[in-house]
Amino acid sequence: MSNINGKVYAMNAITPMKPWKTWIVRVILFLLGLLKSLRQTVIDLSFIEFARWVVLPRGGFPFLGNGQKREDLRYDYLLFFSNFNGTWNQYIDAFSAVLSKGLNLIWNWSEKFPGSVPVTIFKEYIARVQFDTDYYYTAYPHATANDVKSAHIVQSSLDSLSLVAGQCSPEQFADAYLQFVLQVQTHLGETGDAPIAG
Amino acid sequence: MPNKNGSVYGLTILSPIIEDKSATPSHDLQIRNYLAHLSTREESPFAQAPGTHLARLVVMDDVIYVGAPACEDHLKSKYLIFESNCDGDLDSYLSGLAENIPDHLDAVWKHCVGYPGAVNRPAFINYMKACQLDTTFFFAAVNDKTVTETLRALQTQNAVADFIATHQGVDAVTLQREFIEFVAHLKAMPPPKPGSMGPHRDIKTGGRNE
Repeated sequence: MSNINGKVYAMNAITPMKPWKTWIVRVILFLLGLLKSLRQTVIDLSFIEFARWVVLPRGGFPFLGNGQKREDLRYDYLLFFSNFNGTWNQYIDAFSAVLSKGLNLIWNWSEKFPGSVPVTIFKEYIARVQFDTDYYYTAYPHATANDVKSAHIVQSSLDSLSLVAGQCSPEQFADAYLQFVLQVQTHLGETGDAPIAG
Repeated sequence: MPNKNGSVYGLTILSPIIEDKSATPSHDLQIRNYLAHLSTREESPFAQAPGTHLARLVVMDDVIYVGAPACEDHLKSKYLIFESNCDGDLDSYLSGLAENIPDHLDAVWKHCVGYPGAVNRPAFINYMKACQLDTTFFFAAVNDKTVTETLRALQTQNAVADFIATHQGVDAVTLQREFIEFVAHLKAMPPPKPGSMGPHRDIKTGGRNE
């Protein structure tokens, strides 16, 4: 069992919701998908590589027959899966400090959700509804979300420069190379082992 | 349903695990035991099959009770959760898994109800789709690059940093010549293997304050 691989942490959480509240969550998540302005803070925080919410109705658990008993549940469930950089504490602290309104909008419909502020009881709730990952794989364990974004900027800039590199004079190339360095200089941080959080 | 964000697919699968009181150890424990010994580096099954950015496998024992006045719910089955963030369309991805890592798939999913085996490709894909949940909201920080493109970009990033560091103050003629050689060399290099360059796996003790 490990929730961590390199610089990424896998979080799984499941919370019960009264079925009549499920549709409110669906509408909120639909609007979140529709309106980029609502997602901007998550994009700006930039430590989430991938994340998803799944609304799972009480009758929506896969049923395959073959001796499997059909589920008989009182609640619908909200599943949350996140792949984030940094430690659990850093993640929850940042969410509570910066995204409290957004989190409340999504999780207020879950049973016993205490609100994302103050952070201590919010953490207690998350710890209660979280369950651990048995196997976690990432294709690029040494890289964070920011590393990946930066790497693609460097790649794109390099591709542009390489297109003209053989077609100009050395002086013209030197000027273009200087512009290239200026473009990529803030995107060249080293990847490697994750730092130990203190 | 937003299973896709850009060109990235957010796959969520819940497979019911066989409940057989005569099985020792139980099927969920056999899955956990297999997963505990599986590499998370370039030998990982997900590194051998194409298209997986990040993936996890989780045995969900039950839903979680949050305390009174909420009611206590319990599942009748345990479920294997497969959460994957992958390239391309679903059929191609599942076909790639079945083609490249059938033994691993069978070793894990043979403990799940109704699993037909990876060798029967259409049945395998139908089974996975029968267990699939639609994602309600899917976020991807980078949603327009494949795994290979990202690995190559990370390789380029490191190489460019080295090139810039070692070519400060170089005259224009040399700079141009060596840059062209550098780009050609970089393009000829194979991209890093998925899952490589990562740390060796340590078994962690839990999921809270790591």
